[in-house]
Amino acid sequence: MTYDAKIDRLPIFALFDLKGPQEALSKWAKDTPAFPKGPNKLTHKASATLCHIGPRRWLLRDDLENEATWSASLNPEEAPADISIVRVSDTQTFFRITGPDASEVMSIGCTLDLHPAVFADDAVSYTEFFGCKALVLRCEHGFDCAVEQSFGNMIKDFLNRATA
Amino acid sequence: MQVDRLGGGGLIDRTKTLNFTFNGRPYRGFEGDTLASALLANGVRLTARSFKYHRPRGIVGSGVEEPSTLVELMGEDASGNRPVTTVPLREGLVAKSVNCWPSPEFDIGAVNQLFARFIPAGFYYKTFKWPNWHLYEPSIRKAAGLAGAPVEAPKSGHFENRYAHCDLLIAGAGPAGLMAALAAGRAGQRVMLIDEGMQAGGSLLNRNLTIEGKPAMDWVATTVCELDAMPNVTQLQNATVWGYREHNFVMVNERAPEHPSILERNWRVRAARVLCSTGAIERTLVFGNNDRPGVMLASAIQAYVNRYAVRPGKRAVIFTNNNSAYGVAADMAAAGIDIAAIIDSRETVPDAARAAVPKQEILSGHVVYSTHGGRLVKAVSVMPSNGGATRRIACDLLAVSGGWNPAVHLWSQSRGTLAYDEALSTFRPDTPVQNAISAGAANGDLTLADALRSGAEAGAGGGKTPEIPASDDLPYAVEPIWRVEQARGKAFLDMQNDVSVDDVHLALREGYDNVEHVKRYTTGGMGIDQGKVGNINIIGTVAIQKGLPLDEVGTTTFRAPYTPVSFGAIGGIREGSVSLPYRHTPITAWNLANGAFMYESGARWRRPGYFPRTGEGFQDAVNRECRAVRNDVGVYDGSPLGTFELKGRDVDKFLDHLYTNIMSTLKPGRARYGLMLSDDGLVADDGVALRLSKDRWIISTSTGHADAMNAHMEEILQTEFPDYNVFITTVTSQWNNVTICGPKAREVMEALGTAIDISPETLPFMAFADGHVAGIPARIVRVSFTGELSFEVNVAPRDLLALWEMTLEVGAPFGIAPIGSEANHVLRVEKGFLSLGHEVDGPIDPYDLGLGWAMSKKKADYFGKRSVALRRDGTTNRRELVGVIPEPDRMIPEGAPLTPGGERKATEGFVTACVYSTVHDRWVGLALLENGHSRHGETVHVRLNEGVIPARVTPPIHYDPEGERLRS
Repeated sequence: MTYDAKIDRLPIFALFDLKGPQEALSKWAKDTPAFPKGPNKLTHKASATLCHIGPRRWLLRDDLENEATWSASLNPEEAPADISIVRVSDTQTFFRITGPDASEVMSIGCTLDLHPAVFADDAVSYTEFFGCKALVLRCEHGFDCAVEQSFGNMIKDFLNRATA
Repeated sequence: MQVDRLGGGGLIDRTKTLNFTFNGRPYRGFEGDTLASALLANGVRLTARSFKYHRPRGIVGSGVEEPSTLVELMGEDASGNRPVTTVPLREGLVAKSVNCWPSPEFDIGAVNQLFARFIPAGFYYKTFKWPNWHLYEPSIRKAAGLAGAPVEAPKSGHFENRYAHCDLLIAGAGPAGLMAALAAGRAGQRVMLIDEGMQAGGSLLNRNLTIEGKPAMDWVATTVCELDAMPNVTQLQNATVWGYREHNFVMVNERAPEHPSILERNWRVRAARVLCSTGAIERTLVFGNNDRPGVMLASAIQAYVNRYAVRPGKRAVIFTNNNSAYGVAADMAAAGIDIAAIIDSRETVPDAARAAVPKQEILSGHVVYSTHGGRLVKAVSVMPSNGGATRRIACDLLAVSGGWNPAVHLWSQSRGTLAYDEALSTFRPDTPVQNAISAGAANGDLTLADALRSGAEAGAGGGKTPEIPASDDLPYAVEPIWRVEQARGKAFLDMQNDVSVDDVHLALREGYDNVEHVKRYTTGGMGIDQGKVGNINIIGTVAIQKGLPLDEVGTTTFRAPYTPVSFGAIGGIREGSVSLPYRHTPITAWNLANGAFMYESGARWRRPGYFPRTGEGFQDAVNRECRAVRNDVGVYDGSPLGTFELKGRDVDKFLDHLYTNIMSTLKPGRARYGLMLSDDGLVADDGVALRLSKDRWIISTSTGHADAMNAHMEEILQTEFPDYNVFITTVTSQWNNVTICGPKAREVMEALGTAIDISPETLPFMAFADGHVAGIPARIVRVSFTGELSFEVNVAPRDLLALWEMTLEVGAPFGIAPIGSEANHVLRVEKGFLSLGHEVDGPIDPYDLGLGWAMSKKKADYFGKRSVALRRDGTTNRRELVGVIPEPDRMIPEGAPLTPGGERKATEGFVTACVYSTVHDRWVGLALLENGHSRHGETVHVRLNEGVIPARVTPPIHYDPEGERLRS
């Protein structure tokens, strides 16, 4: 590997897609991290992360071991009609790119400006990664990048080539 | 022996000798040389032959403007048509000339010179017309002799693309670019400074100028050092900004990144602001035989003398119309070149220019009208501009300077306008269209002081301008001369394409009087160099001939790339297995391990086509899989089916609008098949809707149309029903499925173990239930694509492989077999189930497919309803879905046309699918046939190249027309 970066394909996370008015969601989903103050921002609470990823749309991420707890807490089947909560844990494959050259590896596949002045620690955004729609957020010493699960092998293929 | 290497000076490293080979002969040069400078140092003057006439050619320029000498690099550097001046010398480099055979010294193609008068511009278009130009094209291309593309990929390494962003992108690290970078960098802006040279400095590398009383390169070194220390500044050398697109999207080709495995890197930069400080390019002068080896741009000679310590000739004549050549003359004289005379077309030479060479003979008001010699210039003929006595001056080097053109290529690519500047006799940047600026020589600021000032101001962008260092330079003055009227012999405007003044005159005579048409007729300004030294002379020649000012003639369009870019750099790492996107389900590894033949089958999913066993061919394998489903049980991975969860108070209303049939009456726990139309009333997709609860639904779409239908739904919601409370979530990859199908499917389900009552009474066709299967959380859906009893077991992808393997294990006693897409295709054709892309090929509506029952009469409106009604009111003949039985029994290719009687007449339909049916033991098919619904029992005819095949028309359902098996 010629870039000083570590590439890890992460186990799946517990993921819940939340849609609807923020007031209604925060009233129903009481245990989530605080709702971020603006779009493309995220907040943390314990191991959970709440990402504001679109108009009236958030993504809750936590370790998979907490999925059942969240399912019980969010109770998607019983949620009011004016909000939507859908478990989407398996839909995303996460890659973690860390190390001194993590930004350089990201720049090969990602069109987004990830400079710290523009994309700070609390930033999150959908963007493009090797041609696929991808969610990018920062992690310690690097970035987490999620793509639709079925593209996981292809993205791994790309990353192997990029770091060859 | 480097016979023409000067004893000292230059920016080369004389401690590092490099061996190289040119046209089979070994030579030596130094680190820091280009192939061009090394060849000149070795006394090589004849380096190429011209493109069309195969005239002897030498090196003309010193950079990307080189029009004459292209080389082909061999071995690990393999690439074709590289300007010799842009090839950095390295140990072991092997190169050869192009456009000649067997060598530049003896070139068979030179015979073309005998016929030159018969092959002017446009000769090809007029001559090689019959029967077809393409008949002649290969041999003409071969005769042209340009190098071909390398046949092998580089043995190691790869190309890379990367994205970058900055506040200011500066193209060119000459004096203006460096000053701009200093200003912007010190202000904390994110700066990218891109330069095509091997080191920063631009024109300062080639000229003997001073800044703050010291050699200008000292200032360059200090500046580069300061910029290096700025973390907000990225400097790239040996990198060219080659394309400027919309929204300040800029392409950069970095040719040799400091990375062990990257051959080239292509940057895609989004810049808030772009500074074009790309310098200026000296133009040639147009006179008779101005293409002989030894005729060089004055600025190039200056570069070879000062930067590379090379003497390109011993006795020189300089021909100019501007001041800059006088600085060159001084440097040449200092290098020991005997200057026979300076020929200046201007009647009055400014004192400042004369002062640069005080004792030099200057023939003002004179022109060179021809050169003499064969493979090297031996003398020039001069005469007064106004006519009079001629004079022949012996020389082996002619330096020409026709003035300077700002390198406006990038600016122009950005769509910024150009304006003709009378004082500079050239086009310069005028009004920007994007957030772009221009500075230095690229802006027409042709003295060093002006370049430093304009660069500093551009970099500061209205902020604090750094102190401008003091500098020395000759003031610039020019009087244009677009061609020497008294020229004798061919006077070339574009040396790379052998385009002469006569060719342009011919184009104008033939009516091609727009400069863009002149370009295309003559090819002047095309090719590798894109006319960098000669384009404006073409414009000037057109202007003279038409009696127009230059600004009315205008310029041709500047297009990317500014200089050639390898395809590898553009493609980056997207090659081999990632040339095209691909998607996998979680059991791909299992499929491959079990011998599946995989291919892309819609929406980039790579799926198993069939599972051949040892010794089995395609048809045998497909037949076996079909028999398994019809007689026992089969299983397939249906995961790629597009799946969406819809939530909200208005989902039922929305679905009633989306589908042709009514969905809102569906009870929770039940599913319903439906058709979706486009707004022009044609079938867009079909699928099944499952009602989970009052406000929650799952709908499926075809695999290939999942993304399109998602966009379709969002568009309807956002444009037509923005007040609807509907949320759409894509869950294609949240719900994978194992579909167990066949008469023994229920037994396999029971063997897997489930608490769900799967009896036909409790879980009938088009019902579903949630629970566990084999201990895995699952949703069982009773739908069928094969026409058999089917259980679609939906699970989370994390559980798919486990469920798949358990299904095959417990299904083994029942004869279960994994089946691929091919068997699925056969089974659905037998059932007459439609497939998008086959039966639904665009102009088809539900009635054509016999699905009129799905067009609700009760709903007031739904998507596409009105369009269907309008079309059917006005059309009598529709192509309708039927079954076809080939008689005699044989396969008919998909898409085969049906014509009346099999005659050569307009088609009346086509075969959409034809498969071998194991239940009928013969070929059966489907077709779209005009008025097909009323023609059952008729014989139609398939017209193929090999003959006409009769086929009997039947209803489209070949198997179990009552649907008893799928409801069992």
